[in-house]
Amino acid sequence: MNHAMYAIIQKDLRGITSNKRLFSTILIVPLILTIVLPSIFILAIHFAPEELDELQNILKLLPAAQQTKELDQIILSLILNSIMPIFFLMIPIMTASIMAASSFVGEKEKHTLETLLYCPLSLKQIFRSKVLASFLLSMIVSFLSFFAMMFVLEVEIFLTSGKLLLPNISWFIILLLVAPSISLIAITLIVKGSAKAQSVEESQQGAVFLILPIILLIVGQFTGVLLISTWILFLLGIFCALLAYILLKKAMGKFHYEILLKQC
Amino acid sequence: MQAIITDNLSKQYTDNKNAVDHISLTLDQGEVFGFLGPNGAGKTTTVKLLNGMLIPSEGSCQVFGMDPAQIPENIHALSGVVTEHAQMYDNLTGLENLIFYGSIFGVNTSESKVRAAALLKQLDLVTAKDQKLSTYSTGMRQRLSLARALIHHPKILFLDEPTSGLDPESAQNVNQFIRNLAKENGITVFLCTHQLRYAQEICTRYGLMEEGKLLALGTLEQLRSNIVSDITVRIKSSYFPEWLPHKQIGKLDFEVTVQLEEEIPHIIKQLVEAGSNIYQVVAKHPSLEDIYFALTAKQKEVTQ
Repeated sequence: MNHAMYAIIQKDLRGITSNKRLFSTILIVPLILTIVLPSIFILAIHFAPEELDELQNILKLLPAAQQTKELDQIILSLILNSIMPIFFLMIPIMTASIMAASSFVGEKEKHTLETLLYCPLSLKQIFRSKVLASFLLSMIVSFLSFFAMMFVLEVEIFLTSGKLLLPNISWFIILLLVAPSISLIAITLIVKGSAKAQSVEESQQGAVFLILPIILLIVGQFTGVLLISTWILFLLGIFCALLAYILLKKAMGKFHYEILLKQC
Repeated sequence: MQAIITDNLSKQYTDNKNAVDHISLTLDQGEVFGFLGPNGAGKTTTVKLLNGMLIPSEGSCQVFGMDPAQIPENIHALSGVVTEHAQMYDNLTGLENLIFYGSIFGVNTSESKVRAAALLKQLDLVTAKDQKLSTYSTGMRQRLSLARALIHHPKILFLDEPTSGLDPESAQNVNQFIRNLAKENGITVFLCTHQLRYAQEICTRYGLMEEGKLLALGTLEQLRSNIVSDITVRIKSSYFPEWLPHKQIGKLDFEVTVQLEEEIPHIIKQLVEAGSNIYQVVAKHPSLEDIYFALTAKQKEVTQ
């Protein structure tokens, strides 16, 4: 990466953090998903009655080893290691989408894209810088959210049950494989639509469709129809990584100044 | 080496109309070339073609021997571009913007600061350098764009309407600044404008455009001798004899048209001999505007 690309990444990151409206959106959603929501779950379990018929279906799906634990512990483990990871996936998608929309379509909207295109970087280098800026922010927010969530959850679990509950390997797959891959998918789809989209809002609306598969997974997890095992998660991560790679290659190859400057 | 060469350069957008229609021209290094014409004449499209932002539909072009369609980034390293749509970042200050663009062009931060300070001073923006761009007026933005285009010491400057939005005094200053750039630093300037009067003040050669076509090319003298050579002489006198062809434009103001300056003393002598008192004689050569209108009128006649 050369000095010019580094300057673009730095400028893009600074651009998003200095925009209070966008930055607060980026911070509020992770805050709700990783602090508020799990806290509600933990408190609900703590104060809920002992018999939970509704959860029997989902509990039956758990491996035999886990079913031997106390009910509270089983449910907490289910929430921490099976339900929260799926909720968590919304964070990289959302952060990457907001950042990518702002850095690609936002530049077009504010007529700064043309100026950038007149710089001595190839179109591929400009794209790489912008994708990298969006990806970096998405990963920073995701990792920070994870650590904040773990801290708050562990404190809450310890205070309510007197024990600590550690995250399982699913979280590593989520953090190191699935989250980066779906971040890149989100960025690429935004970039792909950026030639047509005339406003940041229009561009962000397109990214909403990415959330739909996540919502389906959440519903599946809650109703017990589907319980994602570590292996399924790993395969899903590999599939997303491959998809991200193909989409990224395709999106970068298609671009030319003329397409980008159309209706600029 | 010539700065720009275009050979039958054409660009057709989807509506089957040629935005640029078979333009052939060459520009020497250090020239201030005025590419003139009304809005929609194809000036901006030509700038985009020369910078590789658009691919020619037909013909070719070269900037310092390089094809913009093949290696646009190499041309960008040598050129500075100011266009209406090439804006800067509102959330950065004037100085931060210049440092950012400097770093993109490979100029380190400390050198960018030195160059930015000099440019801001020359363009009268020192007091606004730490203000966010969102507080800048149109004229200030335009001047900062010029500074941005010069931060990496380009060899060629593409200016698309650089004085639009400027008050007359600022426009005058910017014109003087551009003239000095070419004179002192040897920068080639490709200036697109519809403000023919400003162009006449600074350009050394002109290309006159209409609807994508290059109507004429040359220095002011060449254009005058090829297109409109008449000199209008405005005379303020107490009396003008009927037998001498003239046009009365005021009580004591008259206009006569001559081909050569040598004809003027003869007319004055005839007036004096006829008993007229002469108060003022002004010879007016055809301006770029006169030439342009004569050309477009001729073009209309041809197409009709």
